Amino acid sequence: MSTARVVFDRWDDRYAARMEQVRSSAVRDLFAAASRSDVISFAGGMPAVATVPLGDVAHSARDAIRHSGAQALQYGSSEGRPDLRVFVSELMAETGCRVQPSDVVLTTGGQQALDLLAKIMIDPGDIVITEGPTYVGALQAFSAYEPEVHCIPMDDDGMRVDLLEEALARIAPRRPKFIYTIPNFQNPAGVTLTPGRRRQLLEIARAHDIPVVEDDPYGRLRFEGGHVKPLRALDDEVIYVSTFSKIFAPGLRLGWITAPRPILAKFVLAKQAADLCGSAFAQVVAEEYFGHTKWRRTLKALTRTYHERRDAMLSALEEHFPEEARWTKPQGGFFVWVEMPRFLDCKALLAEAVDRGVAFVPGDAFFPDGSGRNCMRLNFSFPSPDSIREGVERLANVLEDRLELYRAFMRAGAIPEVREAVASAGGSR
Amino acid sequence: MSKKVAVLMGGRSLEREVSLKSGERVTAALSRKGYRVVPLDVTEDLVERLRSEKPDAVYIALHGRFGEDGTVQELLEFLEIPYTGPGVLANFLAWDKAVSKRVFVREGIPTPKWVTLTADAFKQMGAATALGALTAAVGDFPLAVKPAKQGSALGLARVTEAQELAEALLQALSFDDKALVERWIDGVELAVSVLEEDGKPYVLPSVEINAKSGLFDFNAMYTPGETEYYVPARLSPEVSAEVEALAAKVHVALGCRDVSRVDMVVDAEGSPFVLEANTSPGMTDTSLLPMAAEHAGIDFDELVDRLTRAALGRG
Repeated sequence: MSTARVVFDRWDDRYAARMEQVRSSAVRDLFAAASRSDVISFAGGMPAVATVPLGDVAHSARDAIRHSGAQALQYGSSEGRPDLRVFVSELMAETGCRVQPSDVVLTTGGQQALDLLAKIMIDPGDIVITEGPTYVGALQAFSAYEPEVHCIPMDDDGMRVDLLEEALARIAPRRPKFIYTIPNFQNPAGVTLTPGRRRQLLEIARAHDIPVVEDDPYGRLRFEGGHVKPLRALDDEVIYVSTFSKIFAPGLRLGWITAPRPILAKFVLAKQAADLCGSAFAQVVAEEYFGHTKWRRTLKALTRTYHERRDAMLSALEEHFPEEARWTKPQGGFFVWVEMPRFLDCKALLAEAVDRGVAFVPGDAFFPDGSGRNCMRLNFSFPSPDSIREGVERLANVLEDRLELYRAFMRAGAIPEVREAVASAGGSR
Repeated sequence: MSKKVAVLMGGRSLEREVSLKSGERVTAALSRKGYRVVPLDVTEDLVERLRSEKPDAVYIALHGRFGEDGTVQELLEFLEIPYTGPGVLANFLAWDKAVSKRVFVREGIPTPKWVTLTADAFKQMGAATALGALTAAVGDFPLAVKPAKQGSALGLARVTEAQELAEALLQALSFDDKALVERWIDGVELAVSVLEEDGKPYVLPSVEINAKSGLFDFNAMYTPGETEYYVPARLSPEVSAEVEALAAKVHVALGCRDVSRVDMVVDAEGSPFVLEANTSPGMTDTSLLPMAAEHAGIDFDELVDRLTRAALGRG
């Protein structure tokens, strides 16, 4: 139980100006309540690590220390262990990307890659383009460097590249430092950028000479539909970021980045300044895991689990949710994005939802400018199918109550019917 | 031994962060004035803490629901701990604008014309079909739409055409089950703080508020640089005197004690209208009560001490 005593920050006026920009979770207080055991949480983004066989991990750890103990304990190179980087280049070759091991830098999670990229690229006031909505962790990482974030609306096929073109024309003669995209099963929208749009995005980026940052944590968690080539496979100047968090486990804090050589060189400098080198220990364990266990079988099992959970969520939404709700149907990944009518404030709803035993992340967390309040991100990777069904029902009840009011207005003809494309609440600025 | 004062702040209202800032400043001020201070967030163990700490008084730095609607005042009276600011009834009357405005009308205090609409009126009685009649009832656009019981201008909208009404009402009704549709008076916005001297209202210099965005909303209130303030307000002596008298009248009409802040607008003809009164005014570094007090020669620490001594005097 939390204590009532308050402790203040007596260094409140000593912090760097840039910290004013760093976003904190606006729903922080409510999440303390959301982690109560009686609250079904759709608010997380956690992989189902219980599915990863601990026996395999134990073997890998033991062998890692047996075979490479001295190295596991010592400082390593900033780029990371060569063998693991070879493995990364093999992984990427499987998806169609030609990457040399020497063009790979291992990072402390994909998150570090985003932070250091922002660090080497963004000056205060620089423009950065993202999707609207986009990954909250990216907004958080970028925010420390004080960019001006412009977001491009999405629809069921991913980023609206036509609107990207328009946005760039409006911004001109200023040029964004980079375009940040999550093309596969986007966090939070769940949608996937179609092959056609990928080509268009790259054409536009090339024409304007703007680097593209492709963040791909979920690419291997596909449930259905064919494999879509990463942007990096279509253009080897794309900066590509990914992670072992979803294909092995987040606890290792292990990810990677590949980029054109000059950018990578700057990146390595920044990484040295940040942590000297990554965890050799984690890298050695990962090498053993990917070298000597049936990790693909585990990944298949994980993907099946997520598939099952997605289906539970989609069918529960279909069954319980009010007809005014719209939601995405992700072909993989962890998240469903729900859009309610424009006047329905999901953020205002959250407190009540938590009181009634269900939590979610209100959509405005995923926009730089506070839009998206009528949207919600629902995570299905973590709760069990039964919890998912129960949680969706609880959420539906909360929405129903609020919608009763909305419908009264509709019946009276007081509201113009607005049916916008999914996740299009964020406009370009 | 010096007196022990518990400062209540935070809580789970939508104004939590503002309250924490107020509470922090008040705590520092009380310490400087030599009190033993116990800062307390409003959580489940609050009553337990109060009973074990046994403060001589409670300084209420809570804003919004629970702090300004009478909840915490009732509780403290039950626990027999004296507290700062107005009593239970004044809090009830001031918190719900639909109620305050009825009091204003009864006392002959000018307030903009308005209509109150509840969520139930929409859900159960089809009130939405009558939205078109609002301008006839209240006056022409622009209209103010706001939740009846909410602070810091959350849910406030300035509506310029009929199409915007529904959205504004739905927004307002996400914060409260009751909304006001009120004539929007364009004019000079004022915050008039009232203290007491010898049991009688002592009106501080008015603060004139000029929000750069044109709307004195949550962002304008708490983001430094977003709003310009003029203390004292740039009013003619006649209007100034009228404003002062009105603030005192509101303070008394609502049964306030020790402190209140009356928000008004003076129209182009120089006529003041009272919008609302606040019983737990903000005490942050952009807040209006401390600003006004400063101009009357009462610094922040002195202001806090004054209110605390008044509470202690009731112990």
